[in-house]
Amino acid sequence: MTRQLCTGFDRPSPGRRDLLSRFGYGLGAAALGSMLNKADAKASSTGTPKTATAKRVIFLFQSGAPSQMDLFDHKPLLNKLHGEELPASVRMGQRLTGMSANQSSLPMVGSPFKFERRGDSGTWVSELLPHTAAVADDLCVINSVHTEAINHGPGVTMMQTGSQFPGRPSMGSWLWYGLGSENENLPAFVVMVSTARGGQPLVSRLWGSGFLPGRYDGVRLRPAEDAVLYLNNPAGVGRDDRRLSLDRMQELNRLRLDETADPTLETHIAQYEMAFRMQSSVPEVTDISDEPASVLNLYGEDVHTPGTFAANCLRARRLAQRGVRFIQLYQPGWDHHSDLPSSIRHAARKTDEATAGLITDLKNQGMLDDTLVVWGGEFGRTSYSQGKIEGGNFGRDHHPRCFTMWMAGGGVKGGHTHGLTDDFSYNVVDGGVHVHDMHATILHLLGIDHERLTFKYQGRHFRLTDVHGHVVEDLLA
Amino acid sequence: MSFSRDVRPILSDRCFHCHGPDATNQDSDFRLDTRDHAVADLGGYFGVVPGDVLASELHARIHADDWSQMPPADSNRVLSQAEKDILDRWIEEGAGYEDHWAFEALPKSISVPEAGRLWARNPVDRFVYRKIADAGVGPNREMSRSKWLRRVTFDLTGLPPTLDELDDFNADQSVGAFERAVDRLLSTDACAERLTSEWLDVARYSDSYGYQRDDERFVWPYRDWVIDAFRRNMPYDRFVTWQIAGDLLPDAGEEQKLATAFNRLHSHKKEGGVAVEEFRVEYMADRVHTFGTAFMGITLECTRCHDHKYDPVTMRDYYSLGAFFQNIDERGLISYFTDATPTPSMPLPSAAQKTRLADAADDVAAAERAYSNSVESAGSAFRDWHATEGTGRAPQIVPSTPVAALDFETFGPVTTDEAFEEKHKYDGSRIPKPADSMRSFANPYGQRALTTPANTLVDGPSGKAVRLSGDDAVVLPGVGHYGRHDRFTISLWLRAEEVADRSVIYRRSRGWDDAGSIGYELTLEEGRLSAKMVHFWPGDALCVETVGTLEPDRWTHVTVTYEGSSTAAGFKIYRDGRPAETAVVRDNLTRTITDWRLGYEDLAIGARFRDRGFKNGAVDEFRVFDRALTAGEVAAVFAESDGSALSAVDEQDLFEHFLATLYEPSITAADALTDARRRYNEIYDEVPAIAVMRETEEPKPAYILARGAYDQPTTEVTADTPEFLPAFPADAPRNRLGLARWLTDPDHPLFARVTVNRYWQMLFGRGLVPTSEDFGYQSTPPTHPDLLDWLARDFVDHGYDVKRLLRGMVLSATYRQSADVGTVARDRDPENILLARGSGSRLSAEMIRDSALAVSGLLVGRVGGPPVKPYDLKHGYTPLNVDEGEKLYRRSLYTFWKRTSPAPVMVTMNAVKREVCRVRRETTQSPLQALVLLNGPQFVESGRVYAADLVDRFGPDIDAIAFEVFRRFTSREPSAAELQILTRLVEEQALRFRDDPSSARAILTVGNAAEADIRDRAMTAAVAVLVSSVMNLHESLRTQ
Repeated sequence: MTRQLCTGFDRPSPGRRDLLSRFGYGLGAAALGSMLNKADAKASSTGTPKTATAKRVIFLFQSGAPSQMDLFDHKPLLNKLHGEELPASVRMGQRLTGMSANQSSLPMVGSPFKFERRGDSGTWVSELLPHTAAVADDLCVINSVHTEAINHGPGVTMMQTGSQFPGRPSMGSWLWYGLGSENENLPAFVVMVSTARGGQPLVSRLWGSGFLPGRYDGVRLRPAEDAVLYLNNPAGVGRDDRRLSLDRMQELNRLRLDETADPTLETHIAQYEMAFRMQSSVPEVTDISDEPASVLNLYGEDVHTPGTFAANCLRARRLAQRGVRFIQLYQPGWDHHSDLPSSIRHAARKTDEATAGLITDLKNQGMLDDTLVVWGGEFGRTSYSQGKIEGGNFGRDHHPRCFTMWMAGGGVKGGHTHGLTDDFSYNVVDGGVHVHDMHATILHLLGIDHERLTFKYQGRHFRLTDVHGHVVEDLLA
Repeated sequence: MSFSRDVRPILSDRCFHCHGPDATNQDSDFRLDTRDHAVADLGGYFGVVPGDVLASELHARIHADDWSQMPPADSNRVLSQAEKDILDRWIEEGAGYEDHWAFEALPKSISVPEAGRLWARNPVDRFVYRKIADAGVGPNREMSRSKWLRRVTFDLTGLPPTLDELDDFNADQSVGAFERAVDRLLSTDACAERLTSEWLDVARYSDSYGYQRDDERFVWPYRDWVIDAFRRNMPYDRFVTWQIAGDLLPDAGEEQKLATAFNRLHSHKKEGGVAVEEFRVEYMADRVHTFGTAFMGITLECTRCHDHKYDPVTMRDYYSLGAFFQNIDERGLISYFTDATPTPSMPLPSAAQKTRLADAADDVAAAERAYSNSVESAGSAFRDWHATEGTGRAPQIVPSTPVAALDFETFGPVTTDEAFEEKHKYDGSRIPKPADSMRSFANPYGQRALTTPANTLVDGPSGKAVRLSGDDAVVLPGVGHYGRHDRFTISLWLRAEEVADRSVIYRRSRGWDDAGSIGYELTLEEGRLSAKMVHFWPGDALCVETVGTLEPDRWTHVTVTYEGSSTAAGFKIYRDGRPAETAVVRDNLTRTITDWRLGYEDLAIGARFRDRGFKNGAVDEFRVFDRALTAGEVAAVFAESDGSALSAVDEQDLFEHFLATLYEPSITAADALTDARRRYNEIYDEVPAIAVMRETEEPKPAYILARGAYDQPTTEVTADTPEFLPAFPADAPRNRLGLARWLTDPDHPLFARVTVNRYWQMLFGRGLVPTSEDFGYQSTPPTHPDLLDWLARDFVDHGYDVKRLLRGMVLSATYRQSADVGTVARDRDPENILLARGSGSRLSAEMIRDSALAVSGLLVGRVGGPPVKPYDLKHGYTPLNVDEGEKLYRRSLYTFWKRTSPAPVMVTMNAVKREVCRVRRETTQSPLQALVLLNGPQFVESGRVYAADLVDRFGPDIDAIAFEVFRRFTSREPSAAELQILTRLVEEQALRFRDDPSSARAILTVGNAAEADIRDRAMTAAVAVLVSSVMNLHESLRTQ
């Protein structure tokens, strides 16, 4: 019975309080409790649980894979060698995608965008991200992230779940499972996908709970009126009407509870009350009419259009304020196989101001210290052109060997740049950070030892970081 | 103390990770997974000395509190004091090992205990009672007849009992009433649908391909096959054998082959640029995992990358099993630009299509006979021609006029009207290019060819030739648009600079793997000429390759002819005017080679979309002919081009030339044959295809893949079953059919146990082995091991009769127990391990929705057919267009299942996503479920339709209405107290709706169902709220 809390499908012993906290969006920290309890005496002798520097995460996922050498990873040599063949000594036979593997020529292409050192820290940021550049001193830029995946499906799946293949829980689900919820009226893992659906398809499994219980699925807030599936009462039923009929329902449920003492009935009663509360707590998040103009202005004009990245950034801050543990945004449109110069400009314009606005807003509200903001895509892009360089126009293919992500707040160093790539932004030279290491570090910031957050499924204790991952100490403040 | 029950779970969970069967990936040589290893001499000391705790290093280590402590502090594995005591005691008692129960052969017989004679209704109860009695308690009371009928009706049909069924059953006090009710339920279509619903999770059934694109696919005939199999109560061993190996059965028919779609229901990749082999391996892996989970209850996933950490399964076992499942003509990527079904596939013609196909096939046969006749009748005409032509000189073969000819002498200009990209935009429109970025080549017979200056001119066999960049094609607009029924010839000079893996010489095709290679093409593969005609490579294609290789840096004249038969024999390759020796690589072309999207319309030379071009290769004198040239004609074309003398022409050459160009009857008959083939092909192309298994003639080589990586093959393996399980039968074929025979052996340790356990789980909410997906060392041990074995043996001995198995379970006294117990009993056994009470499981997603439809009368009972899209699909992550009419009211197993955006109502209610095989759903309750059930239009509509019916029947009699609604949803009569609350609810709501008539109208028009003729809207709306409220009661959502 000691294994109960951490053992996959095993049923918990359905004590009353336990059920209420585990099945609902109740307060509670199921797995964390078990991580500590299970290890009991031994755990305290080998090191007490880590202190969390972040209480929550906002992950601004840039789907499609932003080009690192056009945004953060400054590579002037590429401009000098523009048009020349990528040296075989750089590529070292690494695999390419089926989109450019058969090209007869792989010409290098320098970034057409100007780079400057920004802030007191002198962080390199390109002209594409003027707003982000203005908060450069808050950013911990990691130029040496790498992964194995070379295509979007496996790449995004890896970034979200620690495995290239479907079936594992998303990071937000792990955190919900591990840390429980801080707000009993909202799910602890909320997802928002920008409505601009172009680009690579994103699929709901990316925020799924995998083999964790289904209640840890990320809950997607839609831009529509029903921010949560069927949140609103049917036409003709007002909130008071619902309260009244709910009261009768609960009377009936309670009569039955007296007869059966069935603990699932208690849960049922609690869930219906929770649902009723969510009918007001969710709209409270999505209704931004109480935000002053000074705040709205931080996010740019798009903040007024539901479903845009900017609107979702503001919602993210509102959710963070209400104790939502993991807020995952997806912004598509970074997959620039061709026409990169104009497309990336567009993608940057769609996101830059709101991204910086979020950082500033969190800071102004005193929340940046314990809110970890993560920015990045599923991999990087090649320093050679996919297809031909035609005048000023070119494209870049997928590149897993190195790419840039950044983090801010939540206990990471601000104004810090980590990791070094070669002059071609092709290989990591120093301080490589694998996706597993990113995960380990994020968990660490939340006070979780990534090797201890486990779930037993099919007889094995699974982790977000699989059997890999190291906390990157250099990123920690 | 039992090793299996008490000791091995500890060793497995805390020690095997580093001291278990995965010897190669462990730091320590010490192993605890077998006794031989555990007691081995470790160099003067011993891990385990049987009977001597103090001499055992294991004892010292688990009690140590310094560096030597085991498990080590950083392992996150801890032994409790109780566990340490168990290990010590085990050593003291001799450190005995036992084989794992689930890997031991199923016993031939299991004796039924004597226990519980007065209570038991069948042998199941004897086993259950013994355990209950051993625990010093007794079974719970029986539930009411109504509740029993409710539970068994939901369990066997997925629907609630009707009020009539409840009344009839309650009225039937005669002997055998329960048995008759069960037999009635088992014989319904609804029962077959319910069992199918359960199976679709196991089969990871979905109506879309999965992964990124996740487009719709045609697989529902498989689902209907499953329904039919359950309806006929097909023996389970046969049910499984057909799905694993139906295609390999002697005289396999359409039905047996259709069943094998089971192994193709995994996700298929449709994403540009993926490593194709990576996903082919992934499909093989999915089949292995599914086989392991569904039929054997073992988790093979781990052994893809290393030997199992806990169970005695090795990587060799994994890939040996995989070798059974990969011998099909498949590709790791499905086509983005065409709608081709991934191969192998089989056509599923409708009855009408079958007739039309048979007629068209007769026409083709008749046309072939007519052509043969014309050839036979040509003798005298040929002799006449021969005689006339022969006067004075030998009869001549005059090369035919081509429809296109490129000599590549000079570059010409390109006009704006010509200058376009080969690819089209998504709307089909063309993308202009700067005309001055392009060049042209003259073609005296039609439109000029278009290219770019990246291709250059070099010296060729006659004048100039074109030298190709490998990325830039030479496109010939308007010619070469041939179907598989057409006859045509292409000839050219070519010179390769070096021997490459692969170079595209010419193609008319949308692309390589991204388009399933659709079209026709000539490639050079390691020096061999390869002519292909493809619907979907490799399973639906023709391919002929030269045996000899071309030398690099030498000009060779190549001609490829094709005569329209859709067979490899229809392809001929000539080198320098003479037939080349060729080998047939693929000979199974059944479908269109011309249907694709977004451009690349024309025949082109030297490059293809995302393929390897003819880099630095050169081409000259490119010719296209609108018919299959004869051997003599090919020789003549070569001679003319080469400037050499035409080698001796024999009688046969002349005769063929005569038939093809001069003899009217054979010319007409050949055209008629082409026409008949075209008509046949057109009908066939309309027939839908479903992906199935079809064994290749030779097994593909199989390897252990280092760390599971697709590109790291190591040791070669052959098809075999895991070593720790019974041996593969010596006389069985080493293919999937042999595998099915091995699996369904009456003594197989796992197959029957896993199956009866799954069905027990379906009825009792939890398996006798609670981890129904894992029977290995890490599994939760069976609560009733003897009962499990008895059920399994009984199942096997009675012909794997699923309905007989279910009948026995639901007619047991165990099943009849009430779920309601006092707190004391509940706390004593919170998980109901003893089965000393009934289980009151929550209804499945399908049951909840189907019962709402059934109660309202909206349910459409039709069985089978294409999937449907009810209301909630428009709220999926990828919104889909909702269907209309009766399609909104079909049972939930027919709901369109899109893997990446599954029906949101179903998923909210705990349905699994069906990406991989799952044998268990987990039941959780969440507030999101409450929102769906209270506010979702499917449920609100059901409520208001039922309300209109109630008010119509009962008028203002609220008591009668409340009584019926409650009974309909809970299968019992409300108490007086309950009835009072229910009527109060109606009165309160009616007051509100009377105040606001527009609200009443609003709720009474939710959904697409027509609004009934309603007398009292406010009352009806209030009753609609009543129905919704009762539907949402805890009791309404459970089987008891």
